[in-house]
Amino acid sequence: MAYHENLYLLVFLPLVLIFYQLVPARVRPYILLAFSCLFFLANSKWILIPIALTVLIWQCGVLMERVRKETEEKLPSLDKAGKKELKEKTEKTAKRILVFGILAILAVLFVSQYLHFTLENIAGLLSLGGIRLKIPSWSFFPIGISFYSLEAIGYLVDVYWKKIQADHNPFRLGLFILFFPQVMEGPIASYKDTAMQLWQGESLYIDRISSGLFRILLGLFKKMMVADRLARVVTCVYDNYNHMYGIMVILGAVAYTIQLYMEFSGSIDVVIGSAEMLGIRLPENFRQPFMAQNAADFWRRWHISLGTWFRTYLFYAVSMSKSVKNVNKKLRKKYGKYASMVGTSAMALLPVWLATGLWHGPSWTYIFYGFYYFAILLAETALMPYIDKLEERLHISAKTPWYAALNMMRTWVVIFTGELFFRAKSMHQGLTLFSHLFTGSFFPKRGVWDILTDQRAILLEKADYLAILFGIVVILIIDICREKELGLKEKILQGPVLIRWSVFYLLIAAILIFGAYGAGFQAVELIYAGF
Amino acid sequence: MEKLLEILEEIDDSIDYENETALIDDHLLNSFAIISLISEIEEEFDVEISASEMTVENFNSAEAIWNLIQSKLED
Repeated sequence: MAYHENLYLLVFLPLVLIFYQLVPARVRPYILLAFSCLFFLANSKWILIPIALTVLIWQCGVLMERVRKETEEKLPSLDKAGKKELKEKTEKTAKRILVFGILAILAVLFVSQYLHFTLENIAGLLSLGGIRLKIPSWSFFPIGISFYSLEAIGYLVDVYWKKIQADHNPFRLGLFILFFPQVMEGPIASYKDTAMQLWQGESLYIDRISSGLFRILLGLFKKMMVADRLARVVTCVYDNYNHMYGIMVILGAVAYTIQLYMEFSGSIDVVIGSAEMLGIRLPENFRQPFMAQNAADFWRRWHISLGTWFRTYLFYAVSMSKSVKNVNKKLRKKYGKYASMVGTSAMALLPVWLATGLWHGPSWTYIFYGFYYFAILLAETALMPYIDKLEERLHISAKTPWYAALNMMRTWVVIFTGELFFRAKSMHQGLTLFSHLFTGSFFPKRGVWDILTDQRAILLEKADYLAILFGIVVILIIDICREKELGLKEKILQGPVLIRWSVFYLLIAAILIFGAYGAGFQAVELIYAGF
Repeated sequence: MEKLLEILEEIDDSIDYENETALIDDHLLNSFAIISLISEIEEEFDVEISASEMTVENFNSAEAIWNLIQSKLED
């Protein structure tokens, strides 16, 4: 039961809303938890995994708090040296609990996501020495594990860092981990973001329901109007990767990037809209990513919750660690500020991007994707002072329109190239496609349009491309309004009833009439639900 | 406070630090700038800032950063 399916939109979500509203406020969180378990079970049989994770973080959190509390009680009876010693000992114990919790979560994540990949690669290496190993295949994939594992780790670290108090209520923690709109595709929330909101059991309000509905319709529009159609162009390019013209590779990479944006941000619209109906504000996951001025800016706008998580719990943890700080100091003394900045950035960025790549799944293409952004971001950091000087000399700034447009387009090239490899099934496929840009014919003899409308290959007609174009233009206008903070959604929702309902009906009509359905179209699965 | 403003100016002199209250929220200082800032602060004020203190609230304004330094000095 994915978020764009009728079963979710027309049966599951309305049922949740009805039951939620009918019961008393204190029972509402339990209704959400029960429906969340049901949603999980409809997608995966491994519900014991998120339940076990919940019990684990609940106990680890409570334990950390207990040892600290016991220490607080003992402190008044000790002298200064004794106090210091006991405090250090307690923090060590708390750290041990934290490390145990994190390792346990990572172990489950490793077994479900990476064990098979690791064994396969070991078998591959051994086969070079003539040893043949047969790796059995198995299926152990609790849906959404990559998302809620990060939430669980974030919770433990926050308790350890004393940013939050340990939660003594396992059901509240369970709802934080399993909340049905988020469990499959994020956004990855922190405990502070959602846990208390989810437990409040606020009544439903018509304003929130209509605002949530608007968001859901927008998400469906993105997926059905644009993403599902573009999926065909992308599939054709990647399935025939051995015989592709350069121009088709570029079109494939651009089409995939737009497909991924429309689909992932569309799903997140449905997710945030569903939560909004229940009066719950989830963190945003996208902020007009294609208007980014550089790769670093892109990652502050694309899959924001993942970037925020890695920045908070890995980037800062590494860059603020004693060993990195020491190296930083030495570099600074010996080579100056610039070298220490580049050195620290390299040391902190490497684990972040290796982890970001691997987080997407067990594949060399994802690892490559991580290293690709590591290299680009490090280059951006290293070049920053020089670019600043150049801008000063040329009397231009990031606000100069032509220069901003140039930076935006330069960033597009970086994004499209990254996504070209991200979509590839193997490094061989990615590299073969990339090589077509420089070898063989760039343009086909029979014309690009002929290939795009070839009924044997892509199965899209002229009308489909018009629908794609229309969808992109609508989303582009909405994104520009958001970037300029014009409050388009608020104006529509708070405006005259006639306008509000006209927009609703237009969106519904567009999805029903122009959405990618019918015999030729098969349901396209959500890409990020596989992570 | 003057010392801190000097450090901040050196990192990016286009920001009005005395009045700006959304250094992080508005992405005026990115994570690399924050790391440079911290190493400067640690050297200048002889304090140690940990990863747990890397919150938006602690770095959104010069005043908040100053308060963080003060709380460290008092420890």
